[in-house]
Amino acid sequence: MELWIIGNKAGLLAYMIAVSFTLNSTDHPWFTLACLLYVCLNIAIPIFKRSDPKVLLSVASAVFTFICAYLLNPAFILLLPVNLYELTWLFGGRKISFALASLLPIPFVSSGLIPLYLLTTFLSLLLFGFGWQSTEKLHRAKTEQEKMREELHKLTRSLDDNNEYIRQSEHTIKLEERSRLSQQIHDDIGHAMAGALIQMEASKRLLATDPDKAAELLHNAISISKEGLERIRLTLKDLKPRSEELGINRLRLIADELSAKHTVRVTLSHEGNIDVITPIQWKIIQGNAIEAITNSLKYGKSSSIHIEVQVLNKFVKTVVTDNGIGADKVVKGLGIIGMEERAASVGGTVIADGTKGFSVTTLLPRGV
Amino acid sequence: MNVLEIRNLTKKFGDFIAVDNMSLNIREGEIFGFLGSNGAGKSTTINMISSLLRSTKGDIEVLGRNIATNGKFAKMNIGIVPQDISIYENMTSYENVSFFAGLYGLRGNLLKERTEEALDFVGLGDKAKSFPKNFSGGMKRRLNIACAIAHRPKLIIMDEPTVGIDPQSRNYILNSVRKLNEMGCTIIYTSHYMEEVEEICTRIAIVDHGKIIADGTKEQLKAIITDTKNIWIEIKATDSPSIDSLKQIQGVITAQLEDNTIKINSKGEINNLNRVIQQLIKDGIEIRSVEEQAPNLETVFLTLTGRNLRD
Repeated sequence: MELWIIGNKAGLLAYMIAVSFTLNSTDHPWFTLACLLYVCLNIAIPIFKRSDPKVLLSVASAVFTFICAYLLNPAFILLLPVNLYELTWLFGGRKISFALASLLPIPFVSSGLIPLYLLTTFLSLLLFGFGWQSTEKLHRAKTEQEKMREELHKLTRSLDDNNEYIRQSEHTIKLEERSRLSQQIHDDIGHAMAGALIQMEASKRLLATDPDKAAELLHNAISISKEGLERIRLTLKDLKPRSEELGINRLRLIADELSAKHTVRVTLSHEGNIDVITPIQWKIIQGNAIEAITNSLKYGKSSSIHIEVQVLNKFVKTVVTDNGIGADKVVKGLGIIGMEERAASVGGTVIADGTKGFSVTTLLPRGV
Repeated sequence: MNVLEIRNLTKKFGDFIAVDNMSLNIREGEIFGFLGSNGAGKSTTINMISSLLRSTKGDIEVLGRNIATNGKFAKMNIGIVPQDISIYENMTSYENVSFFAGLYGLRGNLLKERTEEALDFVGLGDKAKSFPKNFSGGMKRRLNIACAIAHRPKLIIMDEPTVGIDPQSRNYILNSVRKLNEMGCTIIYTSHYMEEVEEICTRIAIVDHGKIIADGTKEQLKAIITDTKNIWIEIKATDSPSIDSLKQIQGVITAQLEDNTIKINSKGEINNLNRVIQQLIKDGIEIRSVEEQAPNLETVFLTLTGRNLRD
């Protein structure tokens, strides 16, 4: 913007000098001095960053041109409007005030110069208006860019968070599995093996003195070992179904806990082969169910909440519905956005609907 | 080539999110169906594609050019049949079509030619000089379509073009949609009439609360719910069919006899009804009725969103 103004001033000054020379070639040293002073004053304006000295210089320049016009050469008045524009701009005035400001000095303009004055004023006004608009556009574009950068940053962060979440879930689930396995080995197989070992030790001692008793004990040990082996096989086979049971059982636990703690009835049902739901999906289903129930309790004024897990051919669908007041327009808060992000981490979607009570549906694609 | 590409499109009205981060590609030659209940965000999306509304976020590209920077190009290549009939009742059909075509820059002989062509296409060639105020709802709809296609757009958007019209006009319109498609137009069709969408669309997106929940061919959408179908065959009560031989037929998963009905559950993609019936006839069983139950789009919508299309 400042470049526009300087350019405008330079143009006008050159024009004024040319006009003065051609009209009355009075080669006055005072005139040259005035021109140079004017140049100095106006070049000084953009040097300052703060607006106070700018205003001061601009006012000085305006007064100076006015005095020059009065004392030296009436053509100086042509330089005035640009300074006035500049002032209104510095004060942040509106576009209409430009036009008014430029008309202010008209009574002081000598009558011969009025058309010329009007012409230059008008040209400057055009230039100004254009410059002003471009600057504003630039400014808008800049703020928008800034906003978008911020958003990008936010998104990247939430992506990172999600990745971290998945990583952690995997870790947790692995740990859970491991602890379950070690528990089972300790409880079942460990005891069986210990029992078999004792019996075998005893049979070894009795071998010489009481072969019949020893044979019986050995027989016992063999059957205990066989049983233990069978248990190992079962434990390993059990590995998969148990982990899903953990999922639906945990949901049931959550439902029961909430029913006991609050005055709502939380029910749970499932349909289809829930074996295909992966641990990660269970984690998301649980997270979203808890969030949805919390929302229902907080805002829904509901007396019963139902959780439904349904395994479709291509999707796993989880719906949490309540019989509360619902909402005409669903306004997405952090809760719903959180649920969406969780679901999106495995390519799923969340639908929140408030037309009949409130329902939150989480759709997760299968086989992910 | 993508005729339309939408990326992360969002439209907010205050706090309310009408279209929620929608992304979508429509390829050349498709009849693309938007299926969703009222207020799902279909019309808002369409208004943004046709630059009637500005998006809050996201990009729309028509034929590879962003509509924000190439607005005129997009408009020239899109024809819109709006949800509410927009024709001038005090102008003749001919004047209506030539007025709208003129807005797209057609002049002189070309304008005349295209106007007549469009009127003929919708079957209103003989009504060129009549005033639409005397037209039936269906005829007005057809005139509205003529206005949208006279400038030969590459992409035609039809927003509920069959609301409130008689079955005959409806068939006519559905046929014209097919014909336009054969002529090389890509079509976006929104409706909450599941049957129509199922009948004409080559690809369908299910929209709810401003999001695309699922998209694909109708077979793909149905496969979301299940990939099996039920065949119920009612037979004469005294006959005793051999269920075991039915189970041998390719694709049959289970078969059982309940009272006088054989209930068969079979793989959806295998068409084995013929062989089932042949087997029964071979066994000398008298068939009373046959019913095949496969999921339709309505059930898909209901299962995914928990609501009916016409809620």
